Amino acid sequence: MLVGIPLEHENSAIEPKECAVEMSDYLVKVAEDRCKVSFARVFGFFAPRLRSYALKQLGNEALAMELVQDTMSNVWQKAHLFNSEKGSPSTWIFTIARNIRFDMLRKVQNRKEDICADDLWPVLCEQTPDANEQALDEQVTLEQIGHLFEDLPEKQKIVLEAIYIEGKSQQEIADELEIPLGTVKSRTRLALQRLKGMISDYD
Amino acid sequence: MIKFHPTPELIEQFVTGILAPAESLMVSAHCDMCKYCRDLVDTKTAEFAFDHLELESAAASYDPQFDMMLANITQQPAAEPRDRARVNTLEQEALSTTIELDGKTFELPKSLHRLVQKKGNWSSLVGKLWQAPVDLGYDGVANFIYMEKGGTVPEHTHRGSELTLVINGEFSDGMNQYDSGDFIYMNGDHTHAPKSDAPEGCLVFSIVDQPLHFTSGIARLLNPFSHLFFR
Repeated sequence: MLVGIPLEHENSAIEPKECAVEMSDYLVKVAEDRCKVSFARVFGFFAPRLRSYALKQLGNEALAMELVQDTMSNVWQKAHLFNSEKGSPSTWIFTIARNIRFDMLRKVQNRKEDICADDLWPVLCEQTPDANEQALDEQVTLEQIGHLFEDLPEKQKIVLEAIYIEGKSQQEIADELEIPLGTVKSRTRLALQRLKGMISDYD
Repeated sequence: MIKFHPTPELIEQFVTGILAPAESLMVSAHCDMCKYCRDLVDTKTAEFAFDHLELESAAASYDPQFDMMLANITQQPAAEPRDRARVNTLEQEALSTTIELDGKTFELPKSLHRLVQKKGNWSSLVGKLWQAPVDLGYDGVANFIYMEKGGTVPEHTHRGSELTLVINGEFSDGMNQYDSGDFIYMNGDHTHAPKSDAPEGCLVFSIVDQPLHFTSGIARLLNPFSHLFFR
């Protein structure tokens, strides 16, 4: 049992910046070594603060403690998902708490499980690469499309040219044209589908 | 280029998690498409977290229960890092990230991927319009709406509020010109008649909490039935 270890740390006044660095280091130790002492430090700092945040939001002592418990359990179990390059420990822990609160409220209000916090703020998801990115464009080659290319709407032509002639990635194009990545993908798809249609007509 | 964004108030409510789920979904999907708002959300989240979890003095809320809680938590095993390859295959099978209409395929922003399975069938409405309902399980109604080139929604105003996200294409409504990624909020103060002249038409995702109210011409005849269409 670790009863009594953690909370001594609490009253030492640490500067915010140092606090982030210090807490970051502890989280890394928790992730790598399952270090209970480091976790106790993190817990000692954040649990009371989380509770006062939760009390304000939920107005209920028992729910607030449940929120602290769930949040800190996630921190313990999923410390390997913390990435200090993406944000500070307080940001990471806050987003976990906010997501749990969002789902708690949903449950209280008896809503169906249709929009859950993970969809909105995927903070505890392992990152997976985009799956079906390449599927369609492999089926058509530039040679096949040749002169048909000219019949495409201007916007689709620009995107296809950037991909197939200038060899840019869809992300680069999105950044350059200041349009969303999804739009680039859609335009690519639409253009390729259209070309495919033209090719089968032409055949 | 995206010109219409959620208001700062909406972003703040989204960040703190107090915005209603349907609205949150719209803001989240907009952020998938809009780097500006994505960065703003990140900044606001960090600020809010800092104010509440770092600056906040905690001395007053010390509670002996915490010792027990800490002991319990550290008894728990770490979560197994998931097997990447397996997860990928599973998700690939489970999740299509696009929707199709009339041979066209549209890539959806990430936050809306889960809606692909909840989407009903496309039905054809008046004026080169297509609609596919989505059951969000909340009050209010969500639809994908596709306007073919030249397609028009009859002029209408709103009894409640209407949130629209342009997923692909362009349309104008007599007040403004909207492009992919634009986030549009309308309420009873706004009367508009959306129309798309884009060669590939325009796909939007829209959530309304009350039926639309048509304001002009023969479309007024639709009003008694407007809860059936354009909901």
